[in-house]
Amino acid sequence: MNAQQLGQNIEDRFGPDVIDWNVLGPDQLYVTITPESLVEVAEYLYQDQGCRYVINGGTDRRQQRDAFLITHFFAQDEEKIYIAVHTEVEADDPQVDSITPVVPAANWSERETRDMVGVVAVGHPDPRRLVLADDWPEDLYPLRTDVAHDIKPPPAEGVAPERLEPPEGASVVPIGPFFPVLEEPAYFRVFVEGEMVVGADYRGFYNHRGIEKLGCSVLTYNQIPFIAERICGICGYVHSCSYCQTVERAAGIEIPERAEYIRTIVLELERVQSHLLWLGIAAHIIGFDTVLMQTWRMREPLMWLCERITGNRKSYGMNLVGGVRRDIKPEIYDDIRSVIDKIGAEWQELAGAIPGDSTLMARVRGTGILTTETARGLGAAGPTARGSGLAIDVRVDHPYAAYDRLEVTKCVHDSCDNLARVLVRVEETLDAIKILHQALDDMPDGPIMAEIDEELPAGRQAMSAVEAPRGEVFHWVLTGTENRPERWRVRAPTYANLQNVPPMLAGNALADVPISIGSYDPCFSCTERMEVVDVNSGQVRVYTEEEFRAEYDQPGDE
Amino acid sequence: MTFVINLGLALLGGPLLAGVVRKMVKARVHSRQGPPIIQPFYDLFKLLGKEDLESSPSLVLRYAPMVALAAILAAALLTPMGLRPPLGGYGDMIVFAYFITIAAVMIILAGLVSASPYSMMGAGREIMLHLAVEPVLIICLVIAAIKSGSLLMWDMAAWNYVHGLSINTPSMIIGGVALLLALQAQLGKIPFDIVEAETEIMGGPLIELSGPKLALFEWAFFARQIVYASVLAAIFIPWGTGFALPWNIAAHLLKITVIIVLVGLIDVVNPRLRVDQAMAYFFGVIVVALVGMVLALLGT
Repeated sequence: MNAQQLGQNIEDRFGPDVIDWNVLGPDQLYVTITPESLVEVAEYLYQDQGCRYVINGGTDRRQQRDAFLITHFFAQDEEKIYIAVHTEVEADDPQVDSITPVVPAANWSERETRDMVGVVAVGHPDPRRLVLADDWPEDLYPLRTDVAHDIKPPPAEGVAPERLEPPEGASVVPIGPFFPVLEEPAYFRVFVEGEMVVGADYRGFYNHRGIEKLGCSVLTYNQIPFIAERICGICGYVHSCSYCQTVERAAGIEIPERAEYIRTIVLELERVQSHLLWLGIAAHIIGFDTVLMQTWRMREPLMWLCERITGNRKSYGMNLVGGVRRDIKPEIYDDIRSVIDKIGAEWQELAGAIPGDSTLMARVRGTGILTTETARGLGAAGPTARGSGLAIDVRVDHPYAAYDRLEVTKCVHDSCDNLARVLVRVEETLDAIKILHQALDDMPDGPIMAEIDEELPAGRQAMSAVEAPRGEVFHWVLTGTENRPERWRVRAPTYANLQNVPPMLAGNALADVPISIGSYDPCFSCTERMEVVDVNSGQVRVYTEEEFRAEYDQPGDE
Repeated sequence: MTFVINLGLALLGGPLLAGVVRKMVKARVHSRQGPPIIQPFYDLFKLLGKEDLESSPSLVLRYAPMVALAAILAAALLTPMGLRPPLGGYGDMIVFAYFITIAAVMIILAGLVSASPYSMMGAGREIMLHLAVEPVLIICLVIAAIKSGSLLMWDMAAWNYVHGLSINTPSMIIGGVALLLALQAQLGKIPFDIVEAETEIMGGPLIELSGPKLALFEWAFFARQIVYASVLAAIFIPWGTGFALPWNIAAHLLKITVIIVLVGLIDVVNPRLRVDQAMAYFFGVIVVALVGMVLALLGT
């Protein structure tokens, strides 16, 4: 089945509810449906067609069509298809049926669309604020075109996030907003009975930088790759790649083959560096600093290598729409090979020691279980999904850059625990080194940048994804006027993976919580707080501001 | 003079040996340069010089650090460190065990009055761990007491020196091994640094402590290393106890250095265990120690 056939199937099934559909290439399907049929179409794609939910996006099209455009994105990985389901919602009645009851993974993104665009998802099971700050005014929706990108509403006093109530008898242990093992602010409220976790709540997005808004209001097509790369400090290159591919696809630009290979090489170098960094942090979380020190030592020559190739240790700034900015000179091919071979040998040695380390195994085996069903239901991505037995990998399922010409292995484990996620990344790193060798051997000569003479046409759209070290990065662009997109939607893998944290924490000991969160390799800057509650003693040891003041502002007894 | 030796070893030797382990063991395994050997002293003096903040208006929190350090130093005066302990004639292993427990109780109290969920949890973990580890120390001392027929620690050390370790006294060997197996937890080192577990509960009972209070607790922990290592070295590793001055002190120093370096090495090559996993391990160690005690009672 290809996109054409899937489109036909949807039309046959839903008839008059399908307003319009078209395909881009063999692998992208765009369907526009009536708002009334949204839930049924979503259920059809998710249940009957076995599609995976990606994300939801809202676009303010009141100027063009007097409507808001709500788009749900799905992926059919076996058939290598991405599906965009568009629905237009009348501007004077901005609400649409929630699909979260039938597609649980849509939970966050429907809330985000309500926060950012102001289209309410009716029937949403958990309609709390997700992205916006707690003191942001209720009726100000940042992604609407009549809201300036640099608006600063006055700060409000006495606001707090809406919290989930802990289950009867549970107490709350907060992890965050600042916590030693969380590199960025994130607030988890962990509900515990004694040492056993029974649930969790999450509040994040403390660092929301409004990058999508910038891309649709002040930046130009070729400035966005540099901002996109700063979405993440560890795996930013995936975002600029994904963005460039999307625009190239929308505008019909063919990039030179050499540029595709260079993107592939830099992407894989980034994966190796990211996995080395992650293993170090994961070891640090369980108190194994020797592994932290050694993996980061191993990683350093790779950082220097990236600096030689791209000019930067991180945030490479290599991509533009149409190709890459720097060539990889043939003189340094051998240097790249020697650096990655050394890492490969040391990594193998380190990986070989993992099964024999009984203390380490005691901490990772059988802890942080994320079942295959939950992972699929909540749309897990990358090593998190592959550690739960879901064989999805964008490099194989939806090939981009030069991956269709290279041999990529999907590294899948089905034990669903922290160990599985460790092993997936261990194997992936070795596989990345193989891919790098193949790419270096096969790299064709030629230009690195496509000639682009004409202005990019408005009103076109495309989707593109990249397999980041943490999972699938997904971008969608709707081209606009003034040399910038009308809408640019980004989904980082941690956005999908974080939604899997609360079900995964339940049933674990509190001591396993940090490593379980760490096993996702969470990247909050990509996505954007934890409280532990004691269920047996029934006491919530979290102080309100007043109680805290009463406790601590007493004058000293001197 | 033995006062000076025992207090000096506990107060100065503790931080110094910790510095040696950090620089020579930890940093080397990490492929790092490491801090200067006397860094622990810099840290202590810096903390002592800081403003003394009261994080909660509690008398317990104000005096717990002092009492903890004082208890460890009192225990040090009862512990043979190459020579007959200065207060050896005034207190036996039971008094020793009380002093050690006072220090642990101070940590627990500091955790409980700090009113932070992390310190509560750390205090809870300290209670569990202390209840699992302390019996090992006591059972091992009881083995030595049965063999030597005395509750005084110096008598135990002297008896073992005279009789030596041999196949004929398996109970002393088993006692020594059990104590060694428990030492890692007694010193709060990985895989048993569960009470403080920085990456899980951010220092546990100590989370609300800073400045001089934190310094006193840290100093007590450094001194505790020397006390525990000395008990193992003096009573269960009899070599050198009978040498002439100053060789007996030198032999003792060598023994505790080796023990502390060994503990440091285990610390760097292991991740941290969960408290339930640690408890399971200590039940095993207690069983080993009890086997030793039964053998001692049977006269072997």
